[in-house]
Amino acid sequence: MTTLTGGAGIASIKDAVRLRHERPGGRAYAGLRWGAAGLFVAVLLGLVVSVAIDSSQALAHSGIGFLWSGTWNPAANQYGAGILVLGTVVTTSVAMVIVVPVGLGMAAFLSELAPRWLAGSLSTAIDLLAAVPSIVVGLWALLVLSPLFGNHVEPFLKSIPVLEWFFHGYAFGPSILLASVVLAVMTLPTVVALSRTALSGVAMADREAAMALGATRWQIVREVVFPGARSGIAAALTLAVGRALGESIAVAMVIGNSPAVPHSLIAPGATLGSAIVNQFAEAAPGIGTSSVIALAGVLLVLTVAVNAGGHALLRGMGPRRAAGDGAVR
Amino acid sequence: MTPASVAAEASGRMPPRQATASGPAVTLEDVKVSFGDHVAVRNVTLELAARQVTALVGPSGCGKTTVLRAINRLHDHTGGRVEGKIRLGGVDVYAPDTDPELIRARIGMVFQRPNPFPTMSILDNVTSGLRFNGIRNKAMLREAAESALRHAALWDIVKDRLNQTALRLSGGQQQRLCIARALAIEPDVLLMDEPCSALDPIATAKIEDLITNLASEVTIVLVTHNMFQAARVSDNAAVFLLDEDRVGELVEVGPTVQVFDSPSNERTKQYVTGHVG
Amino acid sequence: MTGADRPAAVPGGALTPDDDSEAGRWGWAAGERRRPIIQAASRRTLRRRRLIGRVGRGLCMLCAAIGLAPLVALVYYTAERGIPGLSVDFFFHAPVPEGIPGGGVSTAISGTARIVGLAIVMAIPVGVLASLFLYERRGRLAGAVRFGADLLTGVPSIVIGIFAYALFVRPLHHFSDVAASFALAVLMLPIMIRANEEAMRSVAVDLWEAGVALGARRSRVARSVVLRGSLPGLVTGNLLAISRGVGETAPLLFTVAAPTFAMTLLIYADGTQPYPDVQQTAWSTALVLLLFVLVLSGAARLVASRLTRRAR
Repeated sequence: MTTLTGGAGIASIKDAVRLRHERPGGRAYAGLRWGAAGLFVAVLLGLVVSVAIDSSQALAHSGIGFLWSGTWNPAANQYGAGILVLGTVVTTSVAMVIVVPVGLGMAAFLSELAPRWLAGSLSTAIDLLAAVPSIVVGLWALLVLSPLFGNHVEPFLKSIPVLEWFFHGYAFGPSILLASVVLAVMTLPTVVALSRTALSGVAMADREAAMALGATRWQIVREVVFPGARSGIAAALTLAVGRALGESIAVAMVIGNSPAVPHSLIAPGATLGSAIVNQFAEAAPGIGTSSVIALAGVLLVLTVAVNAGGHALLRGMGPRRAAGDGAVR
Repeated sequence: MTPASVAAEASGRMPPRQATASGPAVTLEDVKVSFGDHVAVRNVTLELAARQVTALVGPSGCGKTTVLRAINRLHDHTGGRVEGKIRLGGVDVYAPDTDPELIRARIGMVFQRPNPFPTMSILDNVTSGLRFNGIRNKAMLREAAESALRHAALWDIVKDRLNQTALRLSGGQQQRLCIARALAIEPDVLLMDEPCSALDPIATAKIEDLITNLASEVTIVLVTHNMFQAARVSDNAAVFLLDEDRVGELVEVGPTVQVFDSPSNERTKQYVTGHVG
Repeated sequence: MTGADRPAAVPGGALTPDDDSEAGRWGWAAGERRRPIIQAASRRTLRRRRLIGRVGRGLCMLCAAIGLAPLVALVYYTAERGIPGLSVDFFFHAPVPEGIPGGGVSTAISGTARIVGLAIVMAIPVGVLASLFLYERRGRLAGAVRFGADLLTGVPSIVIGIFAYALFVRPLHHFSDVAASFALAVLMLPIMIRANEEAMRSVAVDLWEAGVALGARRSRVARSVVLRGSLPGLVTGNLLAISRGVGETAPLLFTVAAPTFAMTLLIYADGTQPYPDVQQTAWSTALVLLLFVLVLSGAARLVASRLTRRAR
């Protein structure tokens, strides 16, 4: 016959039995979890519904043509998102033209060509750039870059004969070009970090196979590593575009707030984000406000679509990376 | 069935391949490879006879693969330090004025797990070595590709889908594709690092047949931990074991039949007989 | 070259030396002819290949330098222009009307602290619970929540600001801290949820299952095992989310009454004015904000690296 001595022993068995039968606490906890998840979903849906409802007035007024019609002239009661979508596309495109070579080049440097200590500290530096608030970037761009661009960079670009077509007109600083540079600065960390991961993820086995055939280091990078990282790089660029589309405050500070067809990159312009920032406060209640909110709706749809694509690409990158990591001894 | 009997039977099936008059393809003199402070393998003095199959055998971790990779300077990028002399047909592989890329272009390598380039078609995979080395002539590329694929016993299987991705092939086929890729640059030596370890027995048998067929024209160095495989296909065997400091070393080398049947070193005998049953 | 004693031809179209005489192009002799051509090409092109490699490496290095430049310039200029404006007054005095010396941004600092603090109180519990939900449950709802979180991370902060405006400011007809905090909380929530879930997943799954198998109440298991084990990861993720929230401007545009009540708004309002002394305030506030965010991110990273070190 066993005597149950040892207080600790009895206590823990009893505890376990008691715990097993205690349902109410468990139910409360489960309820909290469900509640949190439900709350989150509610917020998500609420966002979409709210924007949709508030845009409806504008859409009713201007019709579906709001989405692509070209005039944004509140004074004349004309509201059309088209010109702003164009501005958004132009600034984002120019930003990508800057960021793709610089970002991929830097990612290649960090992943393949730099010594480990340098790669580590530069990576940290780029991640810190990602943390800089957009308002600080905007302030710096407005007060430091804009005079620099107006006085030196833009006149210089104008003077190059080949580029005349892109850069003509009066250069006074705030411009589509400057906004694009700001977007490039803000999306660079995304491109570098994700591309670097994609490049590093290319299997050692593939690199060694190329090396064993007599390829130089650069040939390996160009013919094996970059192609192998294709999908990851595509994800990186897509997510960068998504980030660029949604950036509003920094762009608003340097783009000049002039919704007009951009005839030159050094002319001022406007994007969806910048228009919302600049126009919301003064928008005429009713139609005006609704139109600005409709702009937000367009922006929402655009960014969600692009980001969904980017995340899908990111997920596609995952399995291959896991399988491909075959270091051969 | 012992490795010795298998070796004897294999050599009985075909006449012994004569070492050519041109001398050994690769010589290693007192080679030692270390990573930082840790010595991986030492005391390796070895002649790899031209147009014969030399098997590097021994248990895992004894330095066989390390020695193999030292031959085509793959340790340049893994931080391994190689001391001693390695000569490829008279050229000092590690001389300061030797270009590693040129050495590697004379040596073909096949790895443990098949590693065709995933983003290239079958044809591009086979011709990749030639293209890396500056060959652009399309006609020559196609000829070399077909030749290599035939020698790898793969031509009939892939000739109608040369532009498809290599990843649809089975494991054994992918490995033969890698062999073709290595052969396409017409190497002096073919290094094979346990090429069958990731393959099923049927694929393994096909590759062993391939090795036997290729052997009279290409010098082959085969790392394998499978003594029966070494007995089946190799002309010479080099046995690597751990010494008392747990550092790999070359214990014995000679014709396969002799090494397995009547080894001169006691430790070799223990290793060989330990593999029975 | 002997022929008679060779083993039978290997299937697959492989060659025996017998074929050599007929199919001259595929045989070994043809290969022997190709070999010197290949070796010569290899040798001849090596110099060019290496040169291209050097140029390529140089370009990549240039790109890295260009990529580093904005950060350096940002920190330098913000420090250079912001430091002169820092003083005791700056931190502890409220703004004063034009022309009177001794003003500061204390209201903005305290305002930001209040708004972010309330946002943290709103977001962290929901974030932790929602990520526990994701961690424990599989199925369509969990998948939908995860997908929704990914989508929400990409929603522009200005859209979130408009949402908060529609939900709080317009119906109540006045700006409020709650509206601003709500906007920031919505912004931070998806980041927290995803980061938390990642952190929890890196905790050994068997620990959790063992706990449940012993019959303990699910919440007890969750609390003691998973949360404690993933604490460093949770801290990192939440710190990064907070750091993001602190720096946001757009959501506050539509929810905060005046720029003097939030640092980011103050920077925007003062920075866009043409007067140097007003801009000075913007620079100094920006410096404080930048330092705070960098320290917060740095701390988060430190916790993360200590976590990975301990895991090894």
